[in-house]
Amino acid sequence: MNAASSIVAMRCCAHHYPKASVACILLLLSWLSVPVYAHALNVINGEKNTALALNELRQQSTVNSPVFDPFQGREVEMHGLEFRRFLINQFGEVPPALHFTTWDGYEVTLGGWDDPKWLMVTAEDGEPLTLRSRGPLRLVDLAYNDQRDIKSLREFNDWIWMIRSIEARW
Amino acid sequence: MIIEPPPSPPAVPLPVPAPLTRKRRYVTWLSLSLMSFMALMVIIVYEARWVYPEIQAYFSQTGNLTGQQLATRSRGYLQLAQQHLLSGQPLDDEQRQAVRLNLDLAYGLIDVEVYRQRYSCTQPSLETLNLLTERLKETTVTPFDAAAELLGPIGCLTSIEMNQLDLRGMAINEFSESTRRYNQILTYSSMVIFALGLLFWVMHERQLRRTERATKQTIAWMQQAMRDPLTGIGNRSALHQDVVAKEGAALAVILVDIDFFKQYNDSLGHPEGDQLLRRLASLLRYVLGAEAKLYRLGGDEFAAVLPCDDDALLISYCDQLTSVLEQAAFKHPTHPHNERVTLSIGAARFIAGEATLSDAYKAADKALYRVKSAGRNGWQISTTA
Repeated sequence: MNAASSIVAMRCCAHHYPKASVACILLLLSWLSVPVYAHALNVINGEKNTALALNELRQQSTVNSPVFDPFQGREVEMHGLEFRRFLINQFGEVPPALHFTTWDGYEVTLGGWDDPKWLMVTAEDGEPLTLRSRGPLRLVDLAYNDQRDIKSLREFNDWIWMIRSIEARW
Repeated sequence: MIIEPPPSPPAVPLPVPAPLTRKRRYVTWLSLSLMSFMALMVIIVYEARWVYPEIQAYFSQTGNLTGQQLATRSRGYLQLAQQHLLSGQPLDDEQRQAVRLNLDLAYGLIDVEVYRQRYSCTQPSLETLNLLTERLKETTVTPFDAAAELLGPIGCLTSIEMNQLDLRGMAINEFSESTRRYNQILTYSSMVIFALGLLFWVMHERQLRRTERATKQTIAWMQQAMRDPLTGIGNRSALHQDVVAKEGAALAVILVDIDFFKQYNDSLGHPEGDQLLRRLASLLRYVLGAEAKLYRLGGDEFAAVLPCDDDALLISYCDQLTSVLEQAAFKHPTHPHNERVTLSIGAARFIAGEATLSDAYKAADKALYRVKSAGRNGWQISTTA
């Protein structure tokens, strides 16, 4: 739940359902109890810094694909956005390299993103990704097939987890 | 004496089978040698291009997602959470958020299938973190107790780290051992391939020398096949080849026959006859000069082919031959009409290529026949070739 939806809920409660004000207060409290981190993705292009709400990214997610996740050791139904198209929407074209920062402090700069096989996962098995499930955003190669050994997690180093910001490097 | 024109000699016999076989062998040794050196190059490129990066990928993990163990990173977040919990200050919202962030990050890093499979403490640790997160949200646990509860998962993560390090050490040792074995095989195989390459190259050089020697022998043999062993001058085959080689040149062919040579041999013996043939060859060389090519066609029959574009010149050659022979005064005890050796000479001029050797030969032979018919010891020139 993001701030905008909470405010809408509050207004509804106050004006149309006064008797349910207790419930509204509980709703607000529950929102406040949700961690304030991991609600947005920062997209940086030079001086321009845009915060994209994760809820919106989830709503924009249209791709569903079953993928074997070697970290979970099972096939997972992944839901997300085609990363290449996302980059074109944000930067006009696919930058030569991207610098990622993640919620666990990991930073890396990688290139080669002009490839439709990369999915920016927002949910799996119907559940939005959280930090606990190595979210809120994660990059996954949909078509790795035999090119990677699923027993060697080292080969999945470019599956960036817990993405916090993406910066274009031109 | 009627001299049959020489049949067209067969083309110079080319030693086809032997050189081809040699050439094939030559190519084979050279190819094998080059293939060996190429194989060596492939091994070197393979080593540099694939094996070295593989080693790098194995040992150089810093900066990668899994460069540091997930368990280590998870433990780090749990210890950060402990620091917040044990800061001694009341747990406000900001502190609570920080603790929860660290717990969530720790959970995400430990919730990995490989840990769950290998380490039995993983699942209970995850449950502890779940429970603790809920209790912290409900504030039903004191910070001190919460920090104490994290000791269990931290202990689990420490054991995971130790075991993973052991596993990694074992894997590195195994990899190192296999790399050492691989390098040994590579070194020995490179040495063998290099030695084979050298061996093939030596074989190739040897074969090359053999081929050169065989070629020289063949050429010597061909030259020998064109010579008359007794007098050292050319034979019929050489005559035909030499005329073919001078196409377009104005030439004269002179046929020389020793009169009553059989009687000479009968009276003085064949060794003396051979000696006479050698002397006559020298005499022909002396009179006709270095430009003339001399041939012994068989028995006492000689031929000479020389550049000549004028009948007068040809007449002078024939005259000189007769006069020089008279001066030489080779004794012929059984000559019916003379005490010395005499010659019958027939000659004809022709342009090589316009008239064939056979035509010129026939013309010269007719002239020779006329001399013989007229009683021998003389010369005639045929006007048409």
